[in-house]
Amino acid sequence: MTARVLVIGEIRDGHLLASSLEAVGAARACAGPSDRLEGLLVGPAAAAASPAFAAAGLASVACVADAALERPTPWAWSRAIVAAATAAGAELVILAGTAAGRDVAGRVAARWEAAAVTGVTAIGRAPGGRLRLSRPVFGGRATQEVEVAAPRAVLAVRPHAFPAPAPTASAAPATELPGGTGPEGDGRILGFEHVEGGAGPDLGDAAVVVSGGRGVRAADNFSLIEELARSLGAAVGASRAVTDAGWRPVSYQVGQTGKSVTPQLYVAVGISGAIQHLVGMVSSRVIVAINSDAQAPIFRVADYGIVGDLFAIVPALTREVRRVRGIA
Amino acid sequence: MEIVVCIKPVPDAETRLRANPAGTALDGEGVKWALAGYDESAVEQALLLKEANPGSRVRAVSFGPAPRTEEVLRAALALGADGATFLEHPAEVVPDPLLAARAVAAHLGRATWDLVLVGKQAGDDEAGLFGGALAELVDAPSFGGVMALTYDASARRFTFRRSVEGGAEAAEVPGRAVLALQQAWNDPRTAKLPNILKSRRATIDKVAWATTAGALGPLGTPTTQSVGFRLPAPRSGAKMIDYRTPEEAAEKLVRLLQEEAKVFP
Repeated sequence: MTARVLVIGEIRDGHLLASSLEAVGAARACAGPSDRLEGLLVGPAAAAASPAFAAAGLASVACVADAALERPTPWAWSRAIVAAATAAGAELVILAGTAAGRDVAGRVAARWEAAAVTGVTAIGRAPGGRLRLSRPVFGGRATQEVEVAAPRAVLAVRPHAFPAPAPTASAAPATELPGGTGPEGDGRILGFEHVEGGAGPDLGDAAVVVSGGRGVRAADNFSLIEELARSLGAAVGASRAVTDAGWRPVSYQVGQTGKSVTPQLYVAVGISGAIQHLVGMVSSRVIVAINSDAQAPIFRVADYGIVGDLFAIVPALTREVRRVRGIA
Repeated sequence: MEIVVCIKPVPDAETRLRANPAGTALDGEGVKWALAGYDESAVEQALLLKEANPGSRVRAVSFGPAPRTEEVLRAALALGADGATFLEHPAEVVPDPLLAARAVAAHLGRATWDLVLVGKQAGDDEAGLFGGALAELVDAPSFGGVMALTYDASARRFTFRRSVEGGAEAAEVPGRAVLALQQAWNDPRTAKLPNILKSRRATIDKVAWATTAGALGPLGTPTTQSVGFRLPAPRSGAKMIDYRTPEEAAEKLVRLLQEEAKVFP
């Protein structure tokens, strides 16, 4: 029996997101050899982005080249997705769990009368053949296993949880679907502004995050954290102590009242490890802690620890990272 | 303006998580329940809009089991909501955000409202599905990650910022919309003691599960099932790096990240 899976790609500033390729990886992780994987792209850059999307392992890519879908509203995007899923005869829609992806998933599920599961980090089948998903809950303090009890499902996969497939030479056809523009009543996205210090990767989807805490002692010293982050190509985060003190804006905050992050590598510098912070980063794959207090709780969740003066360790680490990565 | 704010109880942040005896979900035994953090922001936003637009009313709605669902509704009343509706559900754990959205949509279909505010997600299941699903079911536009919401009464239009990767979008939407709020940007107020005492005696409209189930028909069945709840094996503690100089610490760490953890970028 051939199952059909529709993978939704997301385009930002004309470029396909890496997390959309990971969504193809997730689709391939749960698809059988006879299953058919198709893609959907919307917006004016859809056709240009479709070869890269197809090369991740899609049999075809449907494009809705509607200029109004450049930054689609959840209302308009959900209609385009459900129309494509219906046209493809899909049983499964997979999208990347970005802000926009998570925002549209519930709409798609309700419209398509499907089950929906977000934050997916692993996909398998239960003995009866039902989809079985793993997802972190309670800020990564626990993992929930969920089974789908409906004929159709929408899955939003967590960034970095699935590998992006290596590109293959693909002759997958790009097909054109009619526009999905909604009425004026669905609202408008007027513009976009970067947060300050947004030169590096985004905190929410960076593969490496370097965060500073109270141990950094002053706003000016935070440049040490930023230099280490730059050497690693990492996003910069902060504990609540830092944002409460006004050393960095609230957008930097990792933790219960800030962002939850799940990078491959999380480097905590001068962060003691209050539960408030831990819930936002404990699902990171590898955690490094640098702290002067050997008893700090951060060392209990870390994989590697250095006890010492961050003002000596961090500059040395930045130099070593730059040397190894060949950065002048 | 008629504002509906949808809220839910979640375990208090200090709760020691534990699987139930079957190992399928959180053990609710002894858990202290509290208004979800994102929902606190939603209640605060509803009250700010009410204060800025005289004549507005705020109604809190929650779907879930007694008594904790009634408790968070009383918390919303103590904070300043004008009314509360308790949509009863028999299960100890609400199994499915889609079912919650269908239950609330069935209820809202009979009410007049201009704006529904919800938390972008809740700190327990972190699904983030409810707002979008509800909006679709009541055929209204929706946005998530909403911050800095204002209402232009003459144009009947909401303007706001929406948190996305790397920054924020500016957006607007006409009335009768569902907006899912980002947490902790509006510094939620705390309830005053006299209002807490008053909320204890307030009337909460209750809708029995049989009524909701009758309205939903076959769609009243959950579409997902929680079959496992695992706590991470406690990390054995960090591998501590011995060193004499900061340079040696740096070299050792980089080598471990390259060769052992294989995460060096």
